[in-house]
Amino acid sequence: MTDLALDIRGISKRYAEHTAVRSLSLAVPTGAVYGLLGPNGAGKTTSIRMILNIIAPDTGTVTLLGRPNTDPGILDQIGYLPEERGLYKKMQVYRVLRFLAELKGVGAKEADRRIHQWMERFDLTTASKDWGLAKLEELSRGMQQKVQFIGTLIHDPDLVILDEPFSGLDPINAQALKDTVVELKKRGKTVIFSTHLMDNAERLCDSVCIIARGEKVLDGTVSGVKAEHGGNTVALSVGAGGTEVLAEVLAKLLADHAMIEKVDDSNRFFEIRLRSGADPQALLRTIVAAGVPVQRFELVQPSLHQIFLEKVGATGVEPGMSGHG
Amino acid sequence: MAKLWVVIKREYLERVRTKWFIIATIFGPLFFGSIMIVPGYISARTVRDSKIGNLRILDATGTGLGARVAAKMAVSQQALGSATHVITLTNAALSEAESSATLAVMQKRDQGYLVLDSTTLTRLRARYAGSNASALGETQAVENAVRQALLQSRLEQAGIDPRRVDSLSNVRVNMSVEKIDEKGRGGSGMASALFGFAIAFLLYFSIIFYGQNIMSGVLDEKTSRVSEVVLSSVGPDTLLAGKVLGVGAVGLTQQIAWIGSTALVWKFRAAVMTKLGVPVVSITLPPIGIGMLLLLVAYFVLGYLLYASLFAAVGAISGDQQEARQAAAPITMMLVAAMVFAQPVMFAPTSTLAKVVSLIPVTAPVIMPLRMSATQVPALEIALSLAGVALACAAAIWASARIYRVGLLMTGKRPSLQELARWIRYH
Repeated sequence: MTDLALDIRGISKRYAEHTAVRSLSLAVPTGAVYGLLGPNGAGKTTSIRMILNIIAPDTGTVTLLGRPNTDPGILDQIGYLPEERGLYKKMQVYRVLRFLAELKGVGAKEADRRIHQWMERFDLTTASKDWGLAKLEELSRGMQQKVQFIGTLIHDPDLVILDEPFSGLDPINAQALKDTVVELKKRGKTVIFSTHLMDNAERLCDSVCIIARGEKVLDGTVSGVKAEHGGNTVALSVGAGGTEVLAEVLAKLLADHAMIEKVDDSNRFFEIRLRSGADPQALLRTIVAAGVPVQRFELVQPSLHQIFLEKVGATGVEPGMSGHG
Repeated sequence: MAKLWVVIKREYLERVRTKWFIIATIFGPLFFGSIMIVPGYISARTVRDSKIGNLRILDATGTGLGARVAAKMAVSQQALGSATHVITLTNAALSEAESSATLAVMQKRDQGYLVLDSTTLTRLRARYAGSNASALGETQAVENAVRQALLQSRLEQAGIDPRRVDSLSNVRVNMSVEKIDEKGRGGSGMASALFGFAIAFLLYFSIIFYGQNIMSGVLDEKTSRVSEVVLSSVGPDTLLAGKVLGVGAVGLTQQIAWIGSTALVWKFRAAVMTKLGVPVVSITLPPIGIGMLLLLVAYFVLGYLLYASLFAAVGAISGDQQEARQAAAPITMMLVAAMVFAQPVMFAPTSTLAKVVSLIPVTAPVIMPLRMSATQVPALEIALSLAGVALACAAAIWASARIYRVGLLMTGKRPSLQELARWIRYH
């Protein structure tokens, strides 16, 4: 038995006009919550489809739970929530869920038992109303999302792959999804999700991989990635009336190319990245000497968002694809 | 294969459970049944209203022939409640009696009158005059009665025991009619031509109906995005196969229900018609041997698979119903072409045209069964045509599966023919 839930080696997918994924390798340890981050059009969905053997890669191999993804039956242990969601609208909810369960090899009786559990847990079956007997099209959007989510997990998969799971969710369903991801992790399951929402990734993920233009930009544990990019970022906030003076000082420092590399005004504080080798104390002295009333001066780790912008920006993300949600 | 079964089950049950399926399956046989019974019932009612058979027989033979004829008529027209009135008279009184009989017909008291005179016995002549003179069936019935009465009287004259005459002369011949034209033995009678046409139409209807059903099913899976969820569990080939087989099973269920209940109606048709007081008109259907039946099933299955896979591919490349209808037009046209050829083929099943269109794979599934029920088709032609359909079927499934697996995940503009060709080359 391997300790990797997913092992991708050098997969590529070329279409006539462009290369969607270029020689991508990934290793996701069993029991991890793993984030696949990237701007729209980065190749996330194509990668996920190759992982699930929905489309075949031109080159490379995908190993799921220690077995090739082309092995018969291996997909029965994977749960998948696609980005574009939808189920049979005219079908009764119970029948849709039983169909999805049976497709994954769950017997009808066991499927029914689990369906009822999930339906109750998500308040779709209550004393006054059993939505399971309704057709899917009669359900509200939020309820349909819940049904789809049940369908993803009904066969109790060991590896769950969620493509942009938070897009289009209302806050209540988003919270339910987050809770479920945490619970899955506690039960030893592996969860991989793609997102362009860095806040979600930062809160939930143990490890991340950032891809852009079909290529891996970086990967590793969230703490590791941050440590690697940390140590040279300063969070700075100033008292009333100091903002203008500070802006002058920072503009001058930026122009000198001496001490700082980048300034990001986050409204409540400035996130300042120092040049490599620059001394944070020298910066602090410079600012205080200019008469800026400093309230906070803290060496911080950069947010995933910052790292994302830095790395993806470096490989030339197209305008309008900043990836910030 | 367990997953194929799950897909088939869903496709089958979801369709069989719909209202239209239940309605069509129940009302189909009622419709066919009424086709078989209602026209007979209506025509019988019309016949009864016109009081056919109120006959006057003017018998001047002096041998009691008129009474014999009346007896024969009574047997064959019992159900109609008609009356036959025999007037025995001499040759001399005949013209006056004819005048008054003519008047009776003109005043609609009688339907017609029959004149039997001395020439009837010697030269086998009889005359009939009536308002229904142009009704072939009715005058034939009169003629039959006269013929049988004459036969009986001749046999008795020849010294045969009158008790045996009845049984000896009561001969009914069931003659099948076969048409011969300048091209040799052509179609067997009208009944079998119509029967063949009905089968061709049933095949055409089923293929087009269930083919389009598959198309909208595929389109629905594609536009609702459910296909991606399903494809993460089963391969596209399994999904396509399950859909085609499941919908095909729905079609077979419906046809078995229709044919079964039609056979039942057929079996009790005589009883029902007698109950309704309708004379049972015998319709002889061409006999269908087990070999013919197997060929019919083969043509249906292959034809269905051929068109179903094409329709599925159309569903997979289209973005909405309207687009699908447009893209399906060429395929529908091929089937409609088959139906356009059905009539000429029915009337000239051995013509070159008939041979050609029953060999072309896209029209063969409809035309060949039609030809086979109309004429004796050489085994070689059947084999060639079946092989052609099977080949076309395999090619269509192969190409459609490839288009299907790419198209199902595609969004946006409908692909051009060049793009489709590229999809087919993908693996």
